[in-house]
Amino acid sequence: MQTSHGNFQSSFHRPAGTPALFQGGTLLSLPHMGIAAIQTHGLTRRFGELTAVVDVTFSVAPGQFFGFLGPNGAGKSTTIKMLTGLLEPSAGTIEILGKPFSASALDLKRQIGVVPEGMALFGRLTAPEYLRFVGRMYGLDRETTNQRAQELLEFMQLANETRKLVTDFSHGMQKKLALAAAVIHGPRVLFLDEPFEGVDAIAAGMLKTMLQGMINRGATIFLTTHVLEIVERLCSHVAIIHQGRLVANGPLEELRAGVASTLPGAQSAQRLTLEEIFLSIVGAGDQQDLSQELSWLA
Amino acid sequence: MARMNGARIDDAGMNGTERAIATGGGLLSPLARSQYAALARLRWCVFVNGLRSKLGAFELGARAVAYVLYGVMGLGLGAGAGAIAYSLASSQNWQYSPIVFWVVCLIWQVVPIMLASFQEQFDLSSLLRFPVGFRSFFLLYVVFGLSDVSTIIGGLCCFGILAGVTAARPDLFVWTALILAIFAAFNILMVRAVFAWIDRWLSQRKTREILGAIFMVVILSMQLMNPAVWQHGHRTSGKRQQQQQIQQMLASPWLKTANEVQSWLPPGLAGVALQQAANQQPARALGSLGVLGLFVVAAGSLLGLRLRAEFRGENLGAAPALKKTATGSAKAIPVREKNAEREGDWRFGGSGPIAAIIEKEIRSLFRTLPLLYAVGAPLVLVLVISGSFIRGASRGPAPLVAFPLCVFFAQIGFRMLFSNNLGTEGAGIQLYFLSPTPMRTVMLAKNLLHSAVFAVALVIAGLLATLRLGEPSAVVVAATIAWLLFVLPCNLAVGNIFSLTMPYRINPGRISRQRGSQASTLLSLLLQVGMLAVGALVFELCSIGGMMWLTVPIFLALTAVAVFVWLRILGNSDDIASQHKDLLIATLMKAD
Repeated sequence: MQTSHGNFQSSFHRPAGTPALFQGGTLLSLPHMGIAAIQTHGLTRRFGELTAVVDVTFSVAPGQFFGFLGPNGAGKSTTIKMLTGLLEPSAGTIEILGKPFSASALDLKRQIGVVPEGMALFGRLTAPEYLRFVGRMYGLDRETTNQRAQELLEFMQLANETRKLVTDFSHGMQKKLALAAAVIHGPRVLFLDEPFEGVDAIAAGMLKTMLQGMINRGATIFLTTHVLEIVERLCSHVAIIHQGRLVANGPLEELRAGVASTLPGAQSAQRLTLEEIFLSIVGAGDQQDLSQELSWLA
Repeated sequence: MARMNGARIDDAGMNGTERAIATGGGLLSPLARSQYAALARLRWCVFVNGLRSKLGAFELGARAVAYVLYGVMGLGLGAGAGAIAYSLASSQNWQYSPIVFWVVCLIWQVVPIMLASFQEQFDLSSLLRFPVGFRSFFLLYVVFGLSDVSTIIGGLCCFGILAGVTAARPDLFVWTALILAIFAAFNILMVRAVFAWIDRWLSQRKTREILGAIFMVVILSMQLMNPAVWQHGHRTSGKRQQQQQIQQMLASPWLKTANEVQSWLPPGLAGVALQQAANQQPARALGSLGVLGLFVVAAGSLLGLRLRAEFRGENLGAAPALKKTATGSAKAIPVREKNAEREGDWRFGGSGPIAAIIEKEIRSLFRTLPLLYAVGAPLVLVLVISGSFIRGASRGPAPLVAFPLCVFFAQIGFRMLFSNNLGTEGAGIQLYFLSPTPMRTVMLAKNLLHSAVFAVALVIAGLLATLRLGEPSAVVVAATIAWLLFVLPCNLAVGNIFSLTMPYRINPGRISRQRGSQASTLLSLLLQVGMLAVGALVFELCSIGGMMWLTVPIFLALTAVAVFVWLRILGNSDDIASQHKDLLIATLMKAD
């Protein structure tokens, strides 16, 4: 199934234990025509006996806003850690901007920005000190770093908090600072692990505008979040991981159509929300009888 | 009347457990007891789970060795205290007994700081999310302190005193035991109170900076005050002259005042009570004990005051509220200008990552009191070591190794800086793996800064040692510098390995309740012993042969080998870091 971007074919795959919604579906991710911004093949990560990510293969085209979804413990953060070099894959390959990550790690790190799960902040620095430090770690000269740090602080509405140590920031402020640090060197690919968690509505709106602006200028964004409304509004493509396996991957509209076709009755694909799509793909088998009450609660 | 999971609910809707929660429960209420059991179980599970990894098993081994060392140290000090107590008791020199109590008290209060990273710490504030009553929280806080090294050593000293006094005067056993019990209670509560309050002050920037300044002033004052007191003693020779000087000193008005004051402080009161009991003045002894008891209550109240605030939910990480300022572009322009000015305040040359890391490290160092303390406190050792040489010098010239030893001991504090140089990074460790800067650059920048701090601290130590011991000969100075040139790359090389393979998180806002790696601490202490042994061997062999000048080329040759090893390890930093990436991130990002 060719998408409007001409890069992906949407696909579904049913892992063991999930409902038989997509029986007969196969996992196919076929990048073609040009170099993918992110390309994984057979990505696997084991932690002792546990295999957290199993044979994950997907591709993200340049300029795409890619939403990577999954329930808690599905393997989202593990995948993003492997994609950004924070975690060594047990098997499989990663290519960023057409180069294998393992062979060109330092070169690629200059071209990617990351808001990791732990935000990578230094608590004993102030926000300007931190941004200046990060800029120079990415090879920017002092003047450029200072200028960008100041712009970012003002954009993120942190310019009046320059005396405060990062450790004393609220969680939302820390998220904003982490995002500012991730973009200070003008990355071509941005990885965001739950960037909107703990951010107020005003700041979230501002961040969304900023991220959309980056997409318009040709950057690629790989986003994991539990806020499906944000994914629905921003992302053109979505992949869903469940129990370590990729179970859906493709343009949002095609996923919507695919799910609509499997539902009983003639439900319009346009009326399906991402939450309904998500629940259809990963949730149905896990749903308990919600009417069941806990024995000790009145 | 409803039933929930078998528990009976009364008319007010509360069962027994819930009522206990609401009222806080008694110290030994069923709820409190079940919480103590759960906590003990938790500690056991943490211990057992820690053994799952090789590093955990290694840590256990290191901890066992460490506790044996503490035990030996405590037994030695205890035996010493016992011998002195026996001597005082048998010679009826009770007036000097406060000195013994003062020494024990100082050990009790100071050792925890010196060994802050050498102890297993458990932050009980994490229990506050559970329905733990205040009294239980207080009790647990005190009980957990009983496993501190200082309490073990202090306790052994108390046993030593009890044994010593009882051996000389069996009739004083009950009195001595009573006095020591109250004295020990005071110390246990006081040391916990002091650390609780220090942690509180460290949690806010302003008080942290004030405390840092006070700390530096105290360190310097101690360094300068002590030579002033002992200067004459150093110049004189002969026992008679020294005794005269001590007599003069004891007769000085300020010392009399100091003696008056100390007799009203806990160690003095304990000594006085013992003296009164020995002199068959039970009423007066009880009076002194009563005052000592008041100090126990005061220390407990001081601790209670702090713990009460923590119990009520005070967040030590919270900074004082800043003045509210309007946000937006209208205000942002002056801020931009102000920031631009601040950026120009000071800078380290160059734009590259090395300069950036050094600037960041300097800022972090000055905002991390545990590190500042670790670097500064061993300068006190210069005072202790040189003091022992000065007193020994009255029987002859100070040994040749006096100056090098004093300077060497001053660098012991760098252990924490060298062997855990990523400890304060916290979540920031991720940035080093995400950024295009190789880990060897990060380690090199840290090593360069630490070397500079090392050089400055040791120059200060050298000057202080010179001030106290007199000017050393040129060849001794040259040999000492050559030895330290060997010591530095050894520390850096081994420190880099420890930092990457056995990291532990340093909480910059706390001196107490720090987590530590026993293995890293023990191994780095062994390294210090090894370097000391090498230095002593070279010094001794060359001085026996009357060729002290030979120490310099020997140490320089050793330095060349050490630098080669350091560079090799530095070059392999990325591989080592990559192999331990998971451990580094998981350990350094661990929440406090």
